[in-house]
Amino acid sequence: MKYDFCNMKNQFKLNQIKMKKLLAIVVFIVISVYGYSQKQVIDSLKDVIEKHDGKLNALDDRVLVNEGDLLKLTKIKISGYIQAQWEHYGADLEKNNGYNNTFYLRRTRVKFTYEALDGVKFVLQPDFSTGNLALKDAYTVVNLPKLKNLTLWMGQMNRPNYDVEYSSSSRELLERAKVTTTIYPGEREIGAKLEYIGIKVPVMLQVMMMNGNFTGTQAKDVDSRKDVLARFVYSVKLPAEGVGIDFGANHYFGSNLAKTNQYVKNSNGTLDSLNNVWRYLDKHWTGGEIRIYADVLGGLSIKGEYVAGLNSVASTVASTATMAQKKASPNLYNNFAGYYLTLVKNIGAKNQAVVRYDYYDPNTKLSGDAAGSSLYYKTWAFAWQYYLNDFIRITAQYTMPKNETNASNPSDYKDNLFTIRVQAKF
Amino acid sequence: MKRNKIIPIMLILAVMASVTAFSQAKITVKGSDTMVILAQRWAELYMKSNPQTTIQVTGGGSGVGITALINGTTDICNASRPMKQTEIEKLKGRYNTLGVEIPCAKDGVTIFLNDANKVDELTLKQISEIYTGKIRNWKELGGADAEIRLYGRENSSGTYTYLHDEVVKADYVSTVQSLPGTAAVVNAVKKDVNGIGYGGAAYAVGVKYAKVKKDANSTGYIPSAESIAKSEYPITRYLYMYLRNRPTGETKKYIDWILGAEGQRVVTEIGYFPVK
Repeated sequence: MKYDFCNMKNQFKLNQIKMKKLLAIVVFIVISVYGYSQKQVIDSLKDVIEKHDGKLNALDDRVLVNEGDLLKLTKIKISGYIQAQWEHYGADLEKNNGYNNTFYLRRTRVKFTYEALDGVKFVLQPDFSTGNLALKDAYTVVNLPKLKNLTLWMGQMNRPNYDVEYSSSSRELLERAKVTTTIYPGEREIGAKLEYIGIKVPVMLQVMMMNGNFTGTQAKDVDSRKDVLARFVYSVKLPAEGVGIDFGANHYFGSNLAKTNQYVKNSNGTLDSLNNVWRYLDKHWTGGEIRIYADVLGGLSIKGEYVAGLNSVASTVASTATMAQKKASPNLYNNFAGYYLTLVKNIGAKNQAVVRYDYYDPNTKLSGDAAGSSLYYKTWAFAWQYYLNDFIRITAQYTMPKNETNASNPSDYKDNLFTIRVQAKF
Repeated sequence: MKRNKIIPIMLILAVMASVTAFSQAKITVKGSDTMVILAQRWAELYMKSNPQTTIQVTGGGSGVGITALINGTTDICNASRPMKQTEIEKLKGRYNTLGVEIPCAKDGVTIFLNDANKVDELTLKQISEIYTGKIRNWKELGGADAEIRLYGRENSSGTYTYLHDEVVKADYVSTVQSLPGTAAVVNAVKKDVNGIGYGGAAYAVGVKYAKVKKDANSTGYIPSAESIAKSEYPITRYLYMYLRNRPTGETKKYIDWILGAEGQRVVTEIGYFPVK
């Protein structure tokens, strides 16, 4: 019994050891299998993460490329405007035209501006009028190194004059003053301009050297001399009074070459003979400008310019023309003067009332019969503007030009004009 | 009898409602993201004591606000930079006024660094060289050998323009990440030990201010009421409100309140500095 009990005990211990060994083996197997399967899971998770990491890196690269492209695109600005209008003419204009009213697409402009770097800009502006495609602006603007406020402009651009530079899309009246359109035909010139705009001192200086004979089509100059226009503007602010005043002066210095015709008709109306052709006829004038802005009942401005001097126009008669033909179509050399005064009143946030008086005399030395066809013009213009929103503006304007009368022109030419214009700007 | 009383009562109520409707003033405020929290707080407090006035405040950046002022789609524009001459010319052309500029608070444009960054001080020249890409590694400034990661604002931001014009004075390097608001810049720098950013002083939570020195020989300052009042902090600016015309009516009352004791107390609470 004792022996059996010991044997049983030993057997039991042996069985326990065997069980423990078996359990250890089973646990080892389970852990190994489990560890192996976990490794499998981890490895496959690693694969998935690496695959997605790769995709994310690729996406990152694509986003960088797209951001780079977007940055380039944001440097390009496209703007423009369309001016569509209906016009009704006075009796003499109707007789001339053969009709008394018309719809008319006055301007259709698209302007492309690319700011390559801070201080480097390219501008291109074509005009798409009906049956006509013209280049209006094509110039580069460069900030001169270390002179932040001084820029150099090269190409075809507006002459430096307030009425010229004031964009047609912003101007309160439909057309510029007569003196401006006469002495600066087409507004643009081909040349180079230096412009300084002060920050601490509110001053603007512009000096432009240009071909001086641009009429909108010729690509190059027609003579060897260049014209120069210099302009200076100073701004005064009186914030307590709500008043701002800009005033300035300008001077034009240039010439026209008499290429084909040795006769020149001067301001006194007499015909002079030049010593020979290929003589330069001077043109020079001086102007003054003033603009007053007043925070009076919602905003009011008074704008004026005065220009006077000597203008010359080269004859276009052929060099082979007869003496009589040349005398009939001489070079011109006239003292002129012109000015305008505009009053603009804001009525609420969306309306403006505008009145302008505009005077131009192409020959200040002659009047009456002696003036012949060089008549002075006094023009009143009345306009009402309504801003439908930031993009659409509607203008109704009545223009009343009154010309000088003399024996050759015994009455005022009936050339009043009523216009309704819708402008869409983007 | 009851019906006879109801009709006059309804008529009186209708008249009162229409009078209230007519006398309800609405003021829109748009612009600077630097000022948006300040502007919202001003509006909330003012409307509590002036329930007849509704003030709507949105951000978008100083550039957006100025454009809205010129377009006529906002009454007040908040801007963290002065208006440019070209913008004043557009206002002149459209409204025949110069606009009205009202400084309403002061701010120190703060340079944010991560708390773990060893660099504590920067000169104005160093800030310019960092943001133009001339300095690219923190070790060049006595910090860790790590590439500097640049965070900044979009170009419609007044803070972007102000820092560009007054400190950087050249093109920002193309690696600056543009973020839509100072809070986003602060958040980015907070998460990036090698990051640097800039923005209004009121937003610096969880990041440290860099002490800014005029030059290597000057003392560095962080933007504080004292350093701003004594003009010691080198990048101090005014925060502005712009209007098309001189304010009248309810708008004038609101602006007078902003410039008064209560409005200026709000400026300090938000983390900016009083205008006087």
